Amino acid sequence: MDALTLELLNGLSTFATLGVVALGLGIVFGLMGIINLAHGEFVMIGAYVSYVVHANGFSHWLSVPLAAVVLFVLGGAIELTLIRRIHRQPEVTILATFGLSVCLRQVAELVFTKDFRGVPNPVPGATRAFGVLFPTYRYVLIGIAVAVVVATLLAFTKSRFGLTVRAIVADRDLAEASGIRTGIANLCAFGIGAATAGIAGALVAPLGAIEPQAGLAYLPGAFLVVIVGGFNKLWGVVVGALIVAGVQTGVIHFYDAVWAQIASLGLAVAVLQFRRVSVEGASA
Amino acid sequence: MRLEAHELRSGHGGVPVLHGVSFCVGGGEIVALVGRNGAGKTTLVKTVVGLLRATGGQLLLDGEQITRHPPSRRIRAGLRAAFQERPLFSQLSVADNLRLSGHPVPEHVLAVFGDSLAGRSAQRAGTLSGGEQKMLAAASALASTASILLMDEPTEGLQPSNVEVLGDRLDAARNSGRGILLVEQHLALATRLADRFIVLSKGEIVDSGSAGERDLADRLSRHLAI
Ligand SMILES: Nc1ncnc2c1ncn2[C@@H]1O[C@H](COP(=O)(O)OP(=O)(O)O)[C@@H](O)[C@H]1O
Ligand SMILES: [Mg+2]
Repeated sequence: MDALTLELLNGLSTFATLGVVALGLGIVFGLMGIINLAHGEFVMIGAYVSYVVHANGFSHWLSVPLAAVVLFVLGGAIELTLIRRIHRQPEVTILATFGLSVCLRQVAELVFTKDFRGVPNPVPGATRAFGVLFPTYRYVLIGIAVAVVVATLLAFTKSRFGLTVRAIVADRDLAEASGIRTGIANLCAFGIGAATAGIAGALVAPLGAIEPQAGLAYLPGAFLVVIVGGFNKLWGVVVGALIVAGVQTGVIHFYDAVWAQIASLGLAVAVLQFRRVSVEGASA
Repeated sequence: MRLEAHELRSGHGGVPVLHGVSFCVGGGEIVALVGRNGAGKTTLVKTVVGLLRATGGQLLLDGEQITRHPPSRRIRAGLRAAFQERPLFSQLSVADNLRLSGHPVPEHVLAVFGDSLAGRSAQRAGTLSGGEQKMLAAASALASTASILLMDEPTEGLQPSNVEVLGDRLDAARNSGRGILLVEQHLALATRLADRFIVLSKGEIVDSGSAGERDLADRLSRHLAI
């Protein structure tokens, strides 16, 4: 019973992390259709923000909002200088954002070297709840992650800004002719996507090594979540993260991490196959 | 407010469509823009709103240059268009479409064309019939605060009774001092409403006249080859 509770908590923690990491990709790729292969690097930079905050003697909690701000500015700058010129051409976007991811890793290496960095756990120890001991920081992480995801979902579904973004996605010309400043709206949406990735990076920083390649591990999972959850609807990210986290936790429990990866890929293939059938069925 | 175009040129992807078009629309008048299919009427509307870039000539709003302004700035300056094709965000709900048109009178807008749209604000706009979509787009353009309206074949696909209602609304808008460029294929409605006519053919203005001119109906019929 306790083993199962622990597995559930582990699954919840995976779900929360996947959810925030994939949230930004859900905005940028799912909603706006921009294939951003540098999304993992945004997470990596968020983790380095956390490291810099720690190295300068400030509280870890400062790094979460700071990472959001830094990544919003960086994301906005990238949208302004790169993405808006190429986003209509998927092949070019793939190449350019792949190049961007290499650049960002190189810059991280130049500034911080290849050495593994770390930040100490701001709330060490474990909490006993539901009959099991579970790291307290992971409870905090789950709480913040859920709050960030819910706030972002509300912002995109309920606010005027969210409506604006959905209008641009639906029909860019009509959006412009309705008086929407599409340039600023796109910049903000991309910036928010990057900012949530930065928050994810700052949140996971105390849990593992911080190094220039750290972002690579997050990219496949994030794309998987968006693909499984479906495009066009941002809350699909929650569903996708739930399914992917469930499959991964379950397979790791019964087999091992390698099979979990294989199962995830199988899931992606199955979902894409199913989608194609449903699309063909709809048009028939 | 007064919209002026001088020697306006534009086209699609480097292919010229408008070859130097000059006209004006003042406050309190309806100017009917007629011409055969493919004459360039829609191209003209899109160029005035700014969705197509003018490759030559000038656009002035109350004497101020707007030729290089982005669409959002032209809208804020007082222009508004209802498009011929895809007039609404079809993936968004009727209510969201109304919110995007930017004025807090949705119920009033829905009531313009009777009760056919009442209670359907949660429905996706794309699931309305073609005529209903055009009605909604025309109604929300009319409900905006814009001084110059560009209506691209607003009656296309409308049932006759709603053509009449729309005609009355356009008339009322003109009488309240707004300027309207009305692209219209139905000469009956155009002659009933318009103060002036301009005839576009192959991207050039080939004729123009005022409502009072006696041979106007003949000329228009000839240009449209009816
Ligand atoms: N998106 C487009 N791409 C290329 N050519 C276009 C496009 N839209 C219209 N055209 C061309 O521009 C010309 C004028 O079209 P349009 O302005 O739609 O005419 P109208 O509205 O008077 O029927 C036509 O020859 C048409 O083929
Ligand atoms: Mg047309």
